[in-house]
Formats: sequence, structure tokens, C-alpha cells
Amino acid sequence: MPTNLNFEMARSLVGFTVLLLFLSICESASFFQPISDSHRSAAVELFSPDHGSFKSLEETYEALRTFDVLGIEKKPDVTATACRLVSETVGSSSSTLKDLFYALKANSIVKCKINDKAYQGIITRLNAAVDGASSLPDFYYSVGGLLLVKGSKGDVHLADADGIFRLVKAFRQSDGRWRFSSNSPESSAFAAGIALETLAGVVSFASPELDQSLISTLNSDISKLFDSIEKYDDGALYFDDKLVDGHDHQGPLATTSSVVRGLTVFAAVTDERLNIPSNKILGLANFFLGIGVPGDAKDLFNQMDSLACLESNRVSIPLILSLPSTVLSVTKEDSLQVNVNTVLGSNAPPLTVKLVGVFTSGSKAASLVESQELVFDDGTGMYNLNNLPKSIDVGSYTFVFEIVLHEPEHEKIYVTGGQKKVPIFASGLIKIENAEIAVLDSDLGSIETQKKLDLAGQNAVSLSANHLQKLRVSFKLTTPHGLAFKPHQALLKLRHESKVEHIFVVGNSGKQFEIVLNFLGLVEKFFYLSGRYDIELAVGDAVMENSLLRAIGHIELDLPEPPEKATRPPPQPVDPYSRYGPKAEITHIFRAPEKRPPKELSLAFLGLTFLPLLGFLIGLLRLGVNLKNFPSNTVPATFATLFHVSIGAVLSLYVLFWLKLDLFQTLKLLGFLGVILVLVGHRVLSHLAATSAKLKSA
Amino acid sequence: MGKFWVIFVASISILLPFLCNSFSPETPTDRRVLVLLDDFAVKSSHSSYFNSLKLRGFDLDFKLADDPKIALQRYGQYLYDALILFCPSVERFGGSVDVAAIINFVDSGHDLIIAADVNASDLIREVATECGVDFDEDPSAMVIDHTGYAVSETEGDHTLIASDDFIKSDVIIGSKKIEAPVLFQGIGHSLNPVNSLVLKVLSASPSAYSANPLSKLSTPPLLTGSAISLVSVVQARNNARILITGSLSMFSNRFFRSGVQKSGSSTKYEKSGNEQFLTELSKWIFHERGHLKAVNVKHHKVGETDEPALYRINDELEYSVEIYEWSGTSWEPYVTDDVQVQFYMMSPYVLKTLSNDKKGLYSASFKVPDVYGVFQFKVEYQKLGYTSLSLSKQIPVRPYRHNEYERFIPTAYPYYGAAFSTMAGFFIFSFVHLYNK
Repeated sequence: MPTNLNFEMARSLVGFTVLLLFLSICESASFFQPISDSHRSAAVELFSPDHGSFKSLEETYEALRTFDVLGIEKKPDVTATACRLVSETVGSSSSTLKDLFYALKANSIVKCKINDKAYQGIITRLNAAVDGASSLPDFYYSVGGLLLVKGSKGDVHLADADGIFRLVKAFRQSDGRWRFSSNSPESSAFAAGIALETLAGVVSFASPELDQSLISTLNSDISKLFDSIEKYDDGALYFDDKLVDGHDHQGPLATTSSVVRGLTVFAAVTDERLNIPSNKILGLANFFLGIGVPGDAKDLFNQMDSLACLESNRVSIPLILSLPSTVLSVTKEDSLQVNVNTVLGSNAPPLTVKLVGVFTSGSKAASLVESQELVFDDGTGMYNLNNLPKSIDVGSYTFVFEIVLHEPEHEKIYVTGGQKKVPIFASGLIKIENAEIAVLDSDLGSIETQKKLDLAGQNAVSLSANHLQKLRVSFKLTTPHGLAFKPHQALLKLRHESKVEHIFVVGNSGKQFEIVLNFLGLVEKFFYLSGRYDIELAVGDAVMENSLLRAIGHIELDLPEPPEKATRPPPQPVDPYSRYGPKAEITHIFRAPEKRPPKELSLAFLGLTFLPLLGFLIGLLRLGVNLKNFPSNTVPATFATLFHVSIGAVLSLYVLFWLKLDLFQTLKLLGFLGVILVLVGHRVLSHLAATSAKLKSA
Repeated sequence: MGKFWVIFVASISILLPFLCNSFSPETPTDRRVLVLLDDFAVKSSHSSYFNSLKLRGFDLDFKLADDPKIALQRYGQYLYDALILFCPSVERFGGSVDVAAIINFVDSGHDLIIAADVNASDLIREVATECGVDFDEDPSAMVIDHTGYAVSETEGDHTLIASDDFIKSDVIIGSKKIEAPVLFQGIGHSLNPVNSLVLKVLSASPSAYSANPLSKLSTPPLLTGSAISLVSVVQARNNARILITGSLSMFSNRFFRSGVQKSGSSTKYEKSGNEQFLTELSKWIFHERGHLKAVNVKHHKVGETDEPALYRINDELEYSVEIYEWSGTSWEPYVTDDVQVQFYMMSPYVLKTLSNDKKGLYSASFKVPDVYGVFQFKVEYQKLGYTSLSLSKQIPVRPYRHNEYERFIPTAYPYYGAAFSTMAGFFIFSFVHLYNK
């Protein structure tokens, strides 16, 4: 994946013009602030060891170096774990060259105790590595490692420095860039930085006996490298590799950082003065400062390490002019303060800061003030201009500063970058007077109602007007110096009950601001909406300290009825909170059951239905019924009994039908019983008929 | 031939983890995010934001917006779950990506973050317009607020705005209150009032307006007051989520770390609310919050457990559904009190709020209306910031059968009595009539 990513990164150059925009937005002030406390807190945050130790020795070194540059107290446990890691790496013979190199680098900061035996082992290993090196990183790590050992141990020598110098130099390309190894075709500025650092190491081992012509050609190579430097609009300069598929492509920050490191280290070891314009060094410093606070540990290290290199380099040390505040209040009589520091924020040599001129932003008029020197304040270390010049009223200006070094020989050591333009906002309290709101009659222009407004306090006027009238709002704005002031925002807003808004720009003539709303011409714009309109007045400007937004009150407008084809007011946004939420519950209303009489009544009538039966039985007893006609013979008696049993069965069947049986069961049984009933009934009835016929005939 | 086979197996084994980790209905959090930049410097200057995403397990793929190799899909499969457009000035995307491709990407349920900036290109504006958001047409306009700006020693033009007018929704911006105002510097946008899917998450103060800070204001600004939206979100009907803002720098490390003091207020905050606000918002955008699922929709008669094929009118029934919210790693019970079920036939006959057991089980019991026909159990749950749930289950309701009516009605006892007494009389009469002498 990283290869792929780097490959894409290489294409980033296409979009680099875009970074200008991005930088100019992020760092909207076009000057650069030196390193501040925010870098320190970021460093502590970014280099937070995981369970007490960093992921790798490289990261350990980066953390230690960053803390060192920023002057952050090293936490003892970080130092202890770093030392443990260092001695482990140094002691073991299986550690890689790269780890060994970074262990020695970390050691150069934390100063761990490494015994002589271990040193001897390292020296042997590194010397062997130098002899066997075939690629630029091999040389870089081994020579760098030897140099570090020399730094802490002393008696280390590099055999055949001249030869190694030539070997490394073989990686050089004609355009000032370098290759990582002889068989990789592409050249990079990143490699150039590494190569310079390596060569600087070689030179410091064998300074006197080295062929000076080698160093001179290297000088011209560096110049060539600087020809390929790239530039942002705000003056920041950087290096980037235009590789299409270099697997070690690092991005502009790492590349620039590598070049700066190599350059400054190399400049420190040669006697010859490098032929690099000092403005380029300033541009590089601006690049690193313009990044602000990086969010990545590696980026922060690169930034800090490079700035530390620039802080004390032998080419030229950039001085950064910065202003703690570019918003100055005329009313509060703020003084103009200017800081001149090195990139890491330490004090600059004796110098004078001159205010060369002050120009109104956006105009090409002559300077508003005479050239003058700023007073140095020993206590704060700042250059002050105690009272802003009288000619400076509220507004936005461009101040032009110039740094003049006191000692002429400092001109060679330091670079100041000539005149420096800084945008300054001079803000102040604007006097608001004569604020009035009035309703005018259209024809005559006579005032119908007029109310004074206090725009500093609360107002609640209530007016009413019809479409034949006009509304006038007027006020007067004066700057602290008594001049006319034209704010950027002078808006009158009318808001109808239905949230339809109408905005008008309040125009001015000199100090007097006035807007007249002729409702007759506005009825269509107002969508013929009569009713209450809330009035708001907003007056504001970047340099107006008392910018305001005031609800003045309301006006009741009586507009004519809309004609047929009048445009409708635009839809207003719906409140998102009311759009959702639970709905009202719905319960089904069931059909009411039919009304029924009370059960007692039914039972009473049930009792009544048995009364006729009772009467019938009593009547029968009273009539003296008897059953004398019941057949006396066995056979007819049996049939008679069966007949009545079957009648009883049919009746019982009816009861069962009522209770549980369905029609089909009932009919089935009834058919069966009916046949019996008919047969038996026939026998009984014929017997009875025969008996009665016998009786009659007798 | 054998070589091809090896390559095939190798590529599958490389792709497999990606395929398994991607967005799915079961694990709705996005995994693979394509970040399109104008410039790789943004990767470093906005690294805090990217790191917070990486720490949460997102796989960010940084590409230049004009890289000719970028593609959102290959062979009909989307390569990414979400897209971050941090490329305000891109005029034309590289590769096969264009506005239609991005809209299709969203239409297929993927998420999108758009950060525009001053001088945003027409392309980015077009993408935003497709999402229901209109940036100020004036290319050099910025949001200016002379009373709600962030006090700064070096920014005097009042385009650096400290805004604290957040949407009141815990699910979108997190339950922890954002104390410090959010820094914003860029262009404002307005929302299409008829679009109900787009929400203003951070709005400008009433005194804000959108204009070019360098030129005189002669016509009324198009956008003013709290109608200006600084940050908006869209939740599409397919639950794709979109974040749109007119400030790329609000994601930057500088704004994340910067202290903030709102003009007119004496409270100075050590750190702006940007980090909290944008991190919480990204959790919502990438479906780590507010993504609901409903499972185990059940209904049965009270006292039974099996789901019947149909109900009879006036049956007592119980309806239950389990609702879970995705927390980014697992499904957690969703607890609220406003989930409602409808018993619906052309219009709701019953609408009842479900009660929950705090473990995600929502239930309600009610009586089937005395109207028969084909009903539906409907849960249409829509809440600000949550994905919407739309469940429906069809169920017929029948009237009483003939033998299901009441059998022995007391009111009819006199009729029964009359019939039976007549029958008894007939029985006695049959004896009297036949055998009386």
C-alpha cells in the first residue's frame, strides 16, 4: 500500500497551487509566527509513549530531539526507557544498521552510559559497514554512526575518507539531486539532503587532507539543487520530488527537512561559504513556520529539527518579524508591538525596527505616516510604537516594517528579508447618533409619526402604516476621530409573522445613514402580506467594536389584497423538531352492545309464561279428567305407551336441538323418531277409533 | 496456467479481509473511506481529524481529487463505504468519478462528507446542490459576523466565527454537551426549504451575513442571519448520510487546537469545540450512532404464543418488536418511549405507543377493532437523527362465525319458556285428548 500511496503523493505537485489557497486561509495573516507554546503542548501530546516506550528507536530519537529543541523537560521514565533501548541495541550484534544509527543519535541526546567494549564493537561494525556500503542509506547510517561515536568517544577514524567521499559522490545527478543507489534510476532532493549530511560526516573526519576541489563541485551542486526550489505565493520555499514511482517519496515537508539538515550540517563543516541567497533560507524558514502545528509526530519532528538547524546555521540565520496582535483598538489606545526573533523564538541580535509606512488597504495612496523607529522595550523584548499615529483612524491598513541590524557584520550572518508588509486592523468604538424611525405620508412627505431610537439600548417602537406611506430609518455614524464611517454591514431587516424576510441595505451620504421604504413600490416584493413586521437593524464592521444587531420594534402594515396573479411567498423551512415525534394515540371506538332489559324482568316473564300451563293443568283437574280410555289390552297399551314415549322423545329432541344439536342431527333423529311415531300413532289411533266406533255402534 | 491460479488465490486472500470488513446491514459502520484531497498537505494539516477516524478503525485511502486512477466502483462493486471530499477547488475529478458517480454512490447507501471553502469550484457546488444545499453563489463571499466572531489577535476581518447554535439532537452531536463554541471560517449555505431530509446542524447567529469581506456591500446579501447554515447533514431515505460544510479549515489541526473566545463573552475556552463537534458528527455520519434495526416482529393472541393466520374481530392481541441501535461495534438495545404501532387498513384504526422493557423489546397489546378486512401492523418510526424504521405485516381480520355469537340470551328466556310450556301442555293434552272418557 505505501508504495501506491507514495506514488499518488507524487502527483500532488499538480495540485500545489491549491495549497497556496489553503495556506492563505489557514494562516490568513501573511506573516509567520515563531515557535510558541502551542508547539510544546502539541509535542507532548503527539509524542506520548505507548506503555512507557516508543514504537521504534527512530521514533524515540525523534521524540527526544523534538523535546530537546523545544526545551521540554524530559520525563525521567522516557529517558530511562530510551537508555535501556539504546544499550540493548548497542550491545546486540544483530541490531540493524539503521537501529544502531538511531540508537547512537538518541544517545547523543540522553547521554546514556555505554561501556568501552560496546563502543569498540560498534566501531568495528560501522567501519565494516562503511567498507561494504553500496547504497546511499548504508553510507548515511554508517558514517553518521561513526560520527556520533566520535562525538561521544573521541578517537575514531575513518579509513580512506577521500575514497568514501568519491564513492558517495557517485550517486550525484547532474541536476543537483541524488540517487539512493547506483542501480536506482530516479534522483531525489530527499536523497540530496541525506548525501550532504553523509558527506559532511566524511569531511569532518578528514577535513584537512580532503581534496578541496571535491567540495567546490559540491557547492555548485547545492546551487543547482536550489534552482529547483518551489515557491508559494506568500514567500515560503520548499523542495519536493517530482518522482512518478519512487518508493521512498516523502512529501514536501520531509524532503525540505532533509535538504535543510544536509545543507546546514554541510555548511558547518566546510570552510568555504556556500553560495546560497539568504532569502532562500528565509523562504525555507517561512515554509516550516507556515505549517503551523502539525498533527503528526513525524511532521512535528521534521519541522522542529529543520528549524533547529536553521536557528544556528552558517549560511544565514533567518530573523522572523511577528506581531502578537494585528488588531489594535484606536479607542483603547493600544500600542503597536513587534517581535523580532529567530525561528525558535530566541532573541535577535541588536537591531532597529522601522515603521516605513502605513497604507490604507486596497488603495494606492501615499503613506499616512512618516518613517519612524520603534522603541525597544527591554522588559518584554519587544519593539513598541506607543501611540498609534494620529492619522490612523479606524480601518484596515497595511503597515510596512523594516529591520535594520546594528552591526554591519551581522548582515552576513542574519537574513531579515527586507521590507515586511503586515495587515493591521485599527478598530474603535463608533458613535451612533440621531437614530430615528418615522412613518411618512407619501404625497407630501410630511411626518406622521416619528420615534427616537436608542441603538445602544433596547427599543420597542410600534408603528402602523399603509401602502401609501413610507418608512424612514436614519442614523449617523462617526469615528472616534470625528470622521464619517461606512460600515460593511448596514442592513435593515423586516420580518413578517410568516417568517418571510426582506433585507435592505442602508445607504449613506457622509455621516448620515438613511433608508426610505416606499411601501407602494414594495407591495409586490412584500407578497401583499399585511400584518405585523418586526424590524431589525444590523450595523457592523470588522473595525467597529460596537457592532450591533437590534430589534427596533414592529410595524403594522396594511397592504392591499393580492391580485389574482400575485406571486406567492416562498415556502419557509419547517422546524425539524416538530417534523418528527410521536403522533397522538388512536383507539378504536367499538360498536356499543344492544340495550337489554334487566335479567330479573326476563326471569319474571319466564315465570309468567308458565302460568297458562299451570292454569291448563288446574283446569284439567277441575274438569275431572281421567285416563279411563287408556287401552286395557296389553298390545294396544304397549303401543299407546310407545306412542307417548315417542312424542316425549320428539319433544326432548327439540330441547336438545335448542341446547346443542344442529339442524342436520336433529332432522336425522326426527326422521327416525317420526317413522316410529307415525307407525305407533297409527296403531294407537286406529285402535282408539275402532273402540269408539264399536262403542257408538253399540 | 498454474501461475494464474496462484495470482488468483493471492489476490483473493488479499481482498478477503476487505470484503469481510465492509459495510453490511449487519455491521452498518463504514470501514473503507476514500479521502479526496486537493493537496497532500491537507493530510498533514488536518491529521488530527484523520487520526481520530483511523483510531476508530476506519481504513482511509488518501487520493488526489484529480488523480486519474480514482474509482468508486469496479465491476459493479463499490470499493469504498464512504467518501470524504476535502478538495474544495477541484474543477474535475480524475478517473471515472464525476457528479453522477458520487450521487450514485450516495444513492446506493454510502456516506459522504463534503467540505467546501472560499472559491469552491462549481463541481463541489454542484455536488452540494444535488444534496439539497446551496452555497452562496458569490465565489468570494464568506460568512461574516460582526457580533459573533471569535476574538483573535491576528484575525481582524471577523470571518472567523465562533458558533454555538447546535442542533438539539443527542444522536447527531453526541450526548455530551459541547461547551466551547465551534470555529468556522468559510462560506455559508442555505437549505432548500422543501427538502425535509436536510438538517442544519450548526447555524450562524442572527447577525451573520454572507458577503465578500473585501468589497463594499451594495445589494442585500443573499444569505443572512440564522438562515445561514454552517454545517448541515442529510439523511437520505436509504439511510445514506451526508455532511456538508463550507469550511475546510474547521477540520484542521489549527482549529482543533485553537482556543476560542466569542466576542462579547468573557469566557475563554482553552480548546475550541471543533474536535468534539466534528468527531461526534463523524460518528453519526459513519453510522456509529443512530442506526436502528428492528428484528423479531411478533404478534399473537393474549395468552397464546403462536402467530395466528388471522384474527377475529374483538380478539385481544399482543404485538412485539425488538429494536437495537448500532454502537459502532455491537447492537445495543434501543430505549425510548415514542415507538408506535398502527393497526392499519387504509387509515389507522389503532395507534398505540409501545412500552419497552429497557432491553430493546417493545410490546403493546390491544383489542382488534370490530371491523373486518385486511389489516396491517405498521411501525413507521422516524426520529430526528435516527435511521427510519418502516415495518409492516399484513394480517386479515374476520367477523364472528355463526356459532360464535352469544347462545342463551336472558332476554329471550320468556320466549324459550313459552315454547317449552306449550310443549309440556301439548304432551299432557295428548293424554287427556286420547284417553279422557
